[in-house]
Amino acid sequence: MVSRITERTLVNDFTTAVSRLRRQQADAQNALSSQKRLREASDDPVGAARSTRLRGEAKELQAYRDSVTIGRSTLGAQDGVLNESHDILIRAREIAAGLSGGLATPEARQTAAEEVTELERGLLALANTTVGGRYVFGGLATVGPPFTGFDTPGFSPVTSYTGTTTPFSVRTARDEAVRITTSGGDVFNSSLQALDDLRQTLEAGNEPTASLTALENAAEDIRQERASVGGRLARLQTRDQEIGNAVLTAKTLLGDVEDADLTETITQLAQVRNALEATLTAGTSLMQTSILDYLRL
Amino acid sequence: MALFAPLAIGRQALLAAERAIGVTGHNISNVNTPGYSRQTPLLHASRPDDRGFGTGVELRSVARSVDGFLDARQLTSQSSLGGATTGRQLLDRLQALFPVGDLGIGNALAEFFASANALADSPQDLAVRNELLEAGNALAGQIRSSAGGIATLQREADQRLGQSAFEANGILQNLASLNREIIAAERGGRETNDLRDQRQVALGALASHLSIQVVEVDAGVNVFAASGQGLLIGTDAATLTTELDPTRVGLDGNPLSKIGITARDGSVISLSGDIGGSVGTLLGLRDTTLPADSAALDLLAANLRDAVNLVQTDAAGRDLDGNVGTAFFSGTGAADFQVSLTSPRGIAAAQGAILSDNTNALALAGVAQQTFPALGGAKLSEYFGTLHARIGQEARSADDNATIQENVSEALAAQRESVSGVSLDEEFTNLIRYQRAFQAASQIINVSNVLLDDLIGLVR
Repeated sequence: MVSRITERTLVNDFTTAVSRLRRQQADAQNALSSQKRLREASDDPVGAARSTRLRGEAKELQAYRDSVTIGRSTLGAQDGVLNESHDILIRAREIAAGLSGGLATPEARQTAAEEVTELERGLLALANTTVGGRYVFGGLATVGPPFTGFDTPGFSPVTSYTGTTTPFSVRTARDEAVRITTSGGDVFNSSLQALDDLRQTLEAGNEPTASLTALENAAEDIRQERASVGGRLARLQTRDQEIGNAVLTAKTLLGDVEDADLTETITQLAQVRNALEATLTAGTSLMQTSILDYLRL
Repeated sequence: MALFAPLAIGRQALLAAERAIGVTGHNISNVNTPGYSRQTPLLHASRPDDRGFGTGVELRSVARSVDGFLDARQLTSQSSLGGATTGRQLLDRLQALFPVGDLGIGNALAEFFASANALADSPQDLAVRNELLEAGNALAGQIRSSAGGIATLQREADQRLGQSAFEANGILQNLASLNREIIAAERGGRETNDLRDQRQVALGALASHLSIQVVEVDAGVNVFAASGQGLLIGTDAATLTTELDPTRVGLDGNPLSKIGITARDGSVISLSGDIGGSVGTLLGLRDTTLPADSAALDLLAANLRDAVNLVQTDAAGRDLDGNVGTAFFSGTGAADFQVSLTSPRGIAAAQGAILSDNTNALALAGVAQQTFPALGGAKLSEYFGTLHARIGQEARSADDNATIQENVSEALAAQRESVSGVSLDEEFTNLIRYQRAFQAASQIINVSNVLLDDLIGLVR
């Protein structure tokens, strides 16, 4: 405590107090205009590290979300293709069933062979479906179609698949990868084989009774793959929601670390302003009091 | 004869009042002079005559109101304040190299691995590959610019040392000549109040550069550095020198200087011990803090480089042209850290012959989750987070410390002001006092004059 107060003590105290209040005011003003409480690392060193980590996590989650989106569009396309393929097999089975009885003439069978040929072409086209230029049944490769065309010389359903057999997975979490491709051969070989057999039987005018079971088995293969695709699609949908929630949590936490509490800041600003006004009023009135006003030398 | 005595007393009193008014005027004029200590005229009753009768007043000397202990504490405080202010300035600039929010290395790192994950989704997509390359370039650029910023700060600290030495030498010369003047003046029986004030201010300025011990010997001051090395003995000032030391290489590859005292034979004796003041802080930042932060950044860059390159150059990995990848990052540390891959086709995203495979890209994205024994078992992002928090903490501590030292220094200044400051209230009151004394003394002469007149009238 200081006992003897000189004019300079008053002035020093006054300027110190005013500059401190001005700094507080500038701080609050800064927090208000940027709406951030964390503007440089020294504002909250631990918070700065947390903020970087949370922002990193948000980015990581966004990357997983992009993967999920790609997975969903790919699996969605596969689902559609498998559905249509199944329809083709059902139609082929109808044809085979209709022409199996003794009543069907060889000519009728040969005519029907034309339709089966188209069905086979259609199935091959479906198997070569692309999403964004990538073959969904060819390991998402971008180079040529995974199935050789029906009109290619030496076409055989067994060797038609030339695409990759390596599965393609996308990472949807740090420790979760979801396979979004199937080797096209495994899915379509039985169907192509059954259709091709049916076509050849009909072209020869023979009774296609044997194809009925083959077609049914092929349709079962498609159904199985579709179930698997559906399962993974459902998982990706759930994961999408999970990521959405996680992003929200990360952003909320980030807000806690980085954002200024506006109510508190505004209250603080008002308090500082009051203190500043009081200091200015008191200080100027004190400093204007001088012995000179009372002296007549 | 007795009638002349009052006349002499009146003359003495007039003289004393005049001088006292002079001292008061001196105080009033220096009301705003930094470091000025108020002066008080010391009035004494003059020696009585041979019969013991009073002979009036005498102004023998002018006292200077100071508290020696307070002055000593102020010097210590000035050293701490000088060091803390310098530390605050430089560390604030250091933390500006590591911004928060959507900028900085931490974000660039996250961005890079997010791009690697995107590559795993579309391994053959050139646009995605390009994005990863750009994210790598941005990350490398951030690391380089932070490392470069640290090196620049270190160089600046080194240059400031030279400037501090230069300023300190000027002050030491000034102190030496003040010592000379004060010693001579006191031998001649003259007042040295104002010179002593000036010397105290100069000591304060020196103390803000480095901690000093001050010993007063025969009106002169001897100044020693904290290590005990003499800076000023009487009128003999030492010279602080900074010279480039080829054995001490800075972060920018050029030599740093060493600071020391030039001995009589011209050799430079390094300052040792707890140097204190801004010089001490600058040395600490230059030789400890900044190199440590730079080393941490180097370690981050080296581990990032090795981990990414290991995946990229995996013997089973294949780039878009079916070749084994070449190194992604190059550089020996943070300062020269850069992306060495030039073509986006060169990123090895696949493993095995099938180029639409994404196994290697997944491994690349996995580097983000990898822990590194060299980084204390932390992931890259965690390690950077720790470094970021440390730098923020350093800046904050420096800021807090500077605020504390400012407060201490203000409190001491207020105490000094309380002892040594000029109060206009007091001075004006004194002015009236001395004015009245002057007027009264004039009356003594007046009355003596009238009496003498009367006496001479008798003779007539």
